[in-house]
Amino acid sequence: MTALQELGGGVLAILRRDFRIALSYRFRFVNGILSGLFSLTLFFYISRLVRINQFDSADAYFGFVVAGLVILQVLQSTLGTPSTSLRIELVAGTFERLAVSPFGAVRAVAASTIFPFLYALTLSAVMLVFASVVFDLPVAWSTAPLAIPAFVLAGLAFVPFGLLLASAVVVWKQNTGAAWVMAGITLIAGFYFPVSLLPDWIEWASHVQPFTPAVGLLRHLLIGIDLGHSAWSDTLRLAAFAAVLLPLSLGLLVAAVRVTRRRGTILEY
Amino acid sequence: MISALAVDKAVSTASQFGVAPAADHTQAALALHGVGKRFGEVSVLDGLELELAPGEVALIEGRNGVGKTTLLRIAAGIITADRGLVNAYGLSPERDARAYRRALGLLSAGDRGLYARLKVRQNLEFWAAVAFVPRAQRGAAIDRVIDRFSLEELARRRADRLSLGQRQRVRLAMAFLHDPRLVLLDEPTTSLDESGVAAVSAALADLTERGGTALWCAPSGLQSTLPVDRRYMLDRGSLEPA
Repeated sequence: MTALQELGGGVLAILRRDFRIALSYRFRFVNGILSGLFSLTLFFYISRLVRINQFDSADAYFGFVVAGLVILQVLQSTLGTPSTSLRIELVAGTFERLAVSPFGAVRAVAASTIFPFLYALTLSAVMLVFASVVFDLPVAWSTAPLAIPAFVLAGLAFVPFGLLLASAVVVWKQNTGAAWVMAGITLIAGFYFPVSLLPDWIEWASHVQPFTPAVGLLRHLLIGIDLGHSAWSDTLRLAAFAAVLLPLSLGLLVAAVRVTRRRGTILEY
Repeated sequence: MISALAVDKAVSTASQFGVAPAADHTQAALALHGVGKRFGEVSVLDGLELELAPGEVALIEGRNGVGKTTLLRIAAGIITADRGLVNAYGLSPERDARAYRRALGLLSAGDRGLYARLKVRQNLEFWAAVAFVPRAQRGAAIDRVIDRFSLEELARRRADRLSLGQRQRVRLAMAFLHDPRLVLLDEPTTSLDESGVAAVSAALADLTERGGTALWCAPSGLQSTLPVDRRYMLDRGSLEPA
């Protein structure tokens, strides 16, 4: 086998493993869908209840927030899952097996982000169709297919943050940061409300990470909300974040594994 | 010292592992020289020396907490020694990490390391893929260890529904699945019945017959029928022949 075939085979094995484990929990997908649909319903009625000056109508705000909820699925899958999965692997002792496999621990952690991402994409599609059919959400069907590569690009820009949290789990064995990091991101990246509503002293934070351009771009492609600038500029920003942060986060994960091998704490949990 | 008999056996059979015989016939299957490891104030290994020839099986005994698992983890490249040299068949666990791990089969202590929600065969399929067993050979390799460790009836059962002894058989099957040249076993007979111990003995005999090497650990005083060519006692960070 060539190195590329070995790498591909290992990635596929991780993907198949995660799919089989997900399938073994029969109601997991149903739970995910129901949870998403309840969120959509909740925000539909909130949009009827609350008048926000930035939006012309209740439908306009509902469209805005639906796109945010859909992208939230991808955020959760890329940011929260790597560290959570790693904790589970450490506790179950399967991380040791990955650490002695030729495929290696770092590649295994990185590859374990793929299934949750695909799962989140599926949930997102179901939510979007539900919002369109049940709540008459005007989906921009002509540009919606372009959202798939945009989601992939967003995933590549988001996943370094998940790998950073996974590195922290390798070193400190704790996964306490993911929840508040995600909550903070939803606030500063405009998932539920426009970033222009943020106070001046914090608005800068919405421009120095990949989440705001991802949310804006995907909202534009899925719902047709005007960006106020070229979609290419957001695309390029996302690509630049991914190009810089991915190697950096992988390097940090490699360093975390190396340090804990040296300390002898790599298998502790 | 490496016995000449063992070296001859290894050279003549190395091709069975798909590798060319080493040019240096005195190359050790596993060599640990001056290995030291501390955890904080506690010195676990202190200038430890061990050299195993191809075709040998060695046992390391010692009381609980003396450092047997640490020694195996260092030999497996999972943790790094503070000082000293570790290599297997001339490979370094750090510099040649992938080749090193390809040559290695490990049974860790305890009963963990299986995906609870996956079936036995699915666990083996997963391991075969990440151990880089070529796709065309995976089915046969899995069938071979299923047969070796009598897992036929368990192959379609989920790992979380196995008894401890059954789990140990699956874990052992994973250690031998990819035809490793060097097998490290931490308390391999834990929870095994007589037929399980016989299966490990047969797997070790098969391994050494093909020039492979095994190092296994057990608490001192344990009576076992597993094969042993050399026996050591680990105490105060170093090994003494037992």
